[in-house]
Amino acid sequence: MRRVVLYEGFERFWHWAQALLILTMMLTGFEVRGLGLHLFGFQRAVALHNILAVTLLVLIVFAIFWHITTGEWRQYIPTRKFLREMIAFYVTGIFKGAPHPVRKHRMAKLNPLQRLAYFGFKVLIIPVQVTSGALYYYYPNLQHALGWPPASLWVIAVVHVLGAFGLVAFLIGHVYLTTTGHTPLTNIKAMLTGWEELEDDAYFDET
Amino acid sequence: MPHPPRRPSPPLLRRALQALLGLLALPFALAQEPAAAPPTAGHGSYTILHVAKSRRQTSDHSKFQVLKGPFKDSDGPAVTRACLTCHMKAAEQVMATSHWTWNIAKDGKDGFGKSTLLVNNYCISIIGGNTESCARCHAGYGFKDKSFDFTKPENVDCLVCHDTTGDYEKEKAGWPNPGVSLAEVAQKVGAPTLKNCGVCHFFGGGGDATKHGDLDDTILKAPRAEDVHMSRQGAGMDCIDCHASDAHKVGGPNYVVPADRREQAKFAGESVSRMSCAACHSDSPHKSYILNRHYQKVACQTCHIPTYARGTLPTNTFWDWASAGRLKNGRGYKEEDANGYEKYNSIHGEMIWARNVRPSYVWYNGTLKFTRLTDRITVPTDGRVILNPAEGSYTDPNAKIWPFKFHEATQPFDPILQRFVAPYTAGPKGSGAYWGDWDWDIAIQKGMATAGLPYSGQHSFVKTTMLWPVTHMVAPKEQALACTECHKRNGLLAQVPGFYLLGRDHGTGVDLLGFGVILLTILGVGIHGFIRFSHGRH
Ligand code: HEM
Repeated sequence: MRRVVLYEGFERFWHWAQALLILTMMLTGFEVRGLGLHLFGFQRAVALHNILAVTLLVLIVFAIFWHITTGEWRQYIPTRKFLREMIAFYVTGIFKGAPHPVRKHRMAKLNPLQRLAYFGFKVLIIPVQVTSGALYYYYPNLQHALGWPPASLWVIAVVHVLGAFGLVAFLIGHVYLTTTGHTPLTNIKAMLTGWEELEDDAYFDET
Repeated sequence: MPHPPRRPSPPLLRRALQALLGLLALPFALAQEPAAAPPTAGHGSYTILHVAKSRRQTSDHSKFQVLKGPFKDSDGPAVTRACLTCHMKAAEQVMATSHWTWNIAKDGKDGFGKSTLLVNNYCISIIGGNTESCARCHAGYGFKDKSFDFTKPENVDCLVCHDTTGDYEKEKAGWPNPGVSLAEVAQKVGAPTLKNCGVCHFFGGGGDATKHGDLDDTILKAPRAEDVHMSRQGAGMDCIDCHASDAHKVGGPNYVVPADRREQAKFAGESVSRMSCAACHSDSPHKSYILNRHYQKVACQTCHIPTYARGTLPTNTFWDWASAGRLKNGRGYKEEDANGYEKYNSIHGEMIWARNVRPSYVWYNGTLKFTRLTDRITVPTDGRVILNPAEGSYTDPNAKIWPFKFHEATQPFDPILQRFVAPYTAGPKGSGAYWGDWDWDIAIQKGMATAGLPYSGQHSFVKTTMLWPVTHMVAPKEQALACTECHKRNGLLAQVPGFYLLGRDHGTGVDLLGFGVILLTILGVGIHGFIRFSHGRH
């Protein structure tokens, strides 16, 4: 075993900032939707939601830059290798104390299921949310300029809200799965400190 | 086991990180709602209007020999002749306006206004023989029936608009009250103030505050909270500061509004009529971009006039002609409710009065479709005829959500000819007028004959609604509607159709689906976790 920096400074910052942003956007979004939350007050919630949206966009731009320049984006390429084993592990193996079917590498820190989930998160949920949100925000301008039918805002809102619910579900599953590490807190600690104990690995012998 | 060397973060990255962290904190700082500001006094007397006002007068009318008279009692035309010796074109100008014609003829024939075939649900119509008493508010002398000569300049009443003494009063057919010293009034003429306009416009519907609900004479002594513009403690504006005039044509009749409300003046003086809020306030007066964007679909009045009739006087909201004519010992009588408001009067029927009334909100593009006495009416299944429905919808780029006073009534109707009727109401016993003889059939017959319209001889009563745009009594900004008055489930716009509204509309089943997904996730995670931990494995 060796302790390695699994998550770099920026990655950790990006992760937690994004988490905070999305969490606050959930709260403000569901508050303005009128689902019974009264945290900020409507006007402040709207203002916050919109400012957070811009912040999230800036963060996303930085994150994309980071992923490209560091090559970390490759970690998210979906793969079918060991996918079946991973599913089997979560469905049965984990209950019997079976070993994790894939080992974490510094350069392959995501298992095939994670790859799939985060890939979907990054190319589907977030873009849908960002796009529908932007359309929502600029709807008055667009509707006026392009003569969109009145129902279009309804469609935008429904997509945006379904995306928001999707994010909540994602968050629940995500938080739960972090507890399936070596100990329930191993993974979260790693994302906080960056350090995680990995089994010896050829990649790092090179450094 | 040695730790692998940690890659040092380059300083550039660290700086970028710090910048991002700062950015992250920014939203919370920006989103601080401004603490409720203490009520301010508004622009007060700083407006350009006041500067202009003190300079308006360029001569002293008390020095003019021709205004010293003497004038005979009630001889208004003699005063007008005196005015015209200098203001040669004034009468001609007035005679081209609706204050004189009571008819804004768009198509050359029957247009809009009191002397046309339009029907309302207060006093119904003046043309069924009521002209003489209604003409108390005509800007002329002697308008008592159709025979009135609309071409005679000396019949124009200059004083009613230009009196500054407050002593001038008009009687039937618009003649001056014989008790008024015309010479005294004539020597003190000036620009119209609230009071001049108010003597008629505060008293629409036959009494103070009765008709409009956003105009009554409490405005003369109102605190700023009642009307930020007209209150002397507010901007202290006069009607004509917005209703600017051009050659005596006073801007802003509601019958004929600019076709496109968007194209209105952006600053005072850009056009003759300053009939839009934007003319002075611009179309983006809020600090918040989001609030400013409401301008596209929401009239300023909608948020800034949270309720009307905010003075001490109630406005009439229901007028039941059908119950008029109950008599005690053969005489009409009145009854008051607990507030001292007239709840019954034999000449009008039952009435409801209210203060601080929440407006009704509808799409409105500036056009109200009025009903005429000659229109064939199909009474809708709910039995309620809307006399002047507002045009506009969400898809109409000129329409906005506007606040209205909805005035409900019952009024006489000819069920055979399917038309509204104009009864002769104001007249003495024996004249056939309803208030003299209490007989609807005779009153309607007389009225329709005077108006030159057919009547089947049968009448019924039909429920009617009239829409009165609410635009005065703008409240201090602290009292404007809060977001959630509309952005909530059953808010003020619950009934306004045609669009998706954040917080009001949820989309059928969307939340159900969403909560279903969340519930399933929780269930799945719960079961998984339960098995995991009960097997002693994490
Ligand atoms: C860049 C990303 C996003 C943008 C640009 C955006 C934009 C918007 C806008 C413009 C609205 C209308 C209310 C307002 O003006 O604030 C809105 C509503 C909403 N947002 Fe977002 N949003 C984004 C991300 C999110 C996220 C991440 C969530 C939740 C996880 C979320 C949840 C909601 C919800 C629930 C509503 C209420 C929709 C309704 O009831 O019609 N949004 N969003």
